Amino acid sequence: MIKSPPVTAELPLDTIENKLVADNVNVFYGAFQAIKHASLTMRGQHVTALIGPSGCGKTTFLRALNRMHDLTPGARVEGSILLDGEDIYGPDADPVVIRHRIGMVFQRANPFPKTIYENAVYGPRIHGERDKRVLDEIAERALRQAALWDEVKDRLNRSALVLSGGQQQRLCIARAVALNPEVILMDEPASALDPIATSKIEDLIGQLTEQFTVVIVTHSMQQAARISDFTAFFHIGEIVEVGPTNQIFTHPKEKRTEDYITGRFG
Amino acid sequence: MRTAPSARSVAATANVRARKIVDAVATAVLWVMATSIIVLLAAFIAYMIYLGWSALTPSFIFGMPKERDAGGGVGPEIYNSFYILVLTLLFTIPIALSAGVYLQEYARRGKFREIVQFSAESLATVPSIVMGLFGLLVFVYTFHWRYTALGGALTLTLLNMPALLRVTQEALSSVPDTLREASMALGGTKWQTITRVVLPSAIGRLTTGVVLIAGRIYGETAALIFTAGLSVTVNSPYDLNPFHTAETLAVHLWYTHSESTVADVDRIGNGSALVLLIMVLIFNVAARVAGRALTKRFTGRAS
Repeated sequence: MIKSPPVTAELPLDTIENKLVADNVNVFYGAFQAIKHASLTMRGQHVTALIGPSGCGKTTFLRALNRMHDLTPGARVEGSILLDGEDIYGPDADPVVIRHRIGMVFQRANPFPKTIYENAVYGPRIHGERDKRVLDEIAERALRQAALWDEVKDRLNRSALVLSGGQQQRLCIARAVALNPEVILMDEPASALDPIATSKIEDLIGQLTEQFTVVIVTHSMQQAARISDFTAFFHIGEIVEVGPTNQIFTHPKEKRTEDYITGRFG
Repeated sequence: MRTAPSARSVAATANVRARKIVDAVATAVLWVMATSIIVLLAAFIAYMIYLGWSALTPSFIFGMPKERDAGGGVGPEIYNSFYILVLTLLFTIPIALSAGVYLQEYARRGKFREIVQFSAESLATVPSIVMGLFGLLVFVYTFHWRYTALGGALTLTLLNMPALLRVTQEALSSVPDTLREASMALGGTKWQTITRVVLPSAIGRLTTGVVLIAGRIYGETAALIFTAGLSVTVNSPYDLNPFHTAETLAVHLWYTHSESTVADVDRIGNGSALVLLIMVLIFNVAARVAGRALTKRFTGRAS
């Protein structure tokens, strides 16, 4: 079911934990600055949507949140991003540990060319889990959480590549969930899917907040409105406005936000 | 109902008919060319079997070669071909695979990578006879090994390593980056990503590469004449020691036809050629079966 729209006035902001806090973040690709002085607080067990026109930097910002830019030659991140108060760009921070705690789902489903089961348990396996019973339990729990279990339980040893696009994307969510992360980052996870598969993913995101903090990039404002509690509007590398989702969509404070959500550009 | 005076017909015009003829002719020509490959291969194999079949007796396949008299066999040569193949692959695969993984997965674009690439490509263009003379200088004259299977295998390694490196690089670059990203995003290290995702995804192409290299190793002569030698050890023809003199089947084929004084040269030649062909085919099929099994094991999917 589609989640009821969050009620701004009643969001008990004081009591929601600040899970992930980006402070004055700059991202550079070589000499080009893709993100300029972005600060954003992502609240625990809520969905924060990053919206904005193509090329505004929302994906670049998302990828800074689990240090994926480490893998891009020439990319550089400045500023701090605190996970439970600890800087993930600090001197002691390790990307392997960070990515264990902050999972990611990509725009295009990218299951490994392995069995469905092996996809689901890939994370636990590389982090050292060997016990077959434990792995079986993790696989079932993750696939249930990703609302995929009933569709695949009889063919766990088939290749993941035989699944439909929507199923593959839910498998990718299961793969991230299997690590039991605290935060799940999603980069337009439904943009390549048909409406039915999309609504399944959206329902799923609502359920995931029972346990996880979700940060989602989306190009669909309707989607942001349907599933998110908070929304950040990006424009040309800057965060123009942040706020509870229905406030952003009903009473934006900034002219540029209003222009974008009313379709005047984008 | 009315028809406009200028209504156009749906029937083919002369222009359309002419274009369709060109289309039909082109299709026919391309089909003939493609089919001719199959016909050539079939004719070639049939002719080889026709010529060599009568020579394939147990005494030929398992017997010792003879220098003068008729009735010699090629047992030790078959063994040597296989021995040198295994030895060469033992050297070639680890080097090519490691270098390929390094260049493709670790090395940043830069001078070092360019130099390695340039060296490999230069090595790939060296004619095999030149490589054979190089092996002669190094292994036979400098190391005083005399003619040995090891010297031959090392020479073949130099000769074939660049090709396998190329294959490895292409196999790795065919693995989409999104898979590497997925593994890294789950907290995988680079090494885990390579061993658990990248290499298993590339295993099919890697197997194909090894099969092609193996075919070349079986058929190689020029590089082996001066390194592995033109004779077999008479008192222990199936020696496991890598320092035994090791004439291979392909070299034997060349030798009997060009140098030897053996009485039944045609029978030996035709028989050797057929045995060589069968060995290549057997290895080819075996490697493909192994590749399928590996792919299935790693990916849960038949190739």
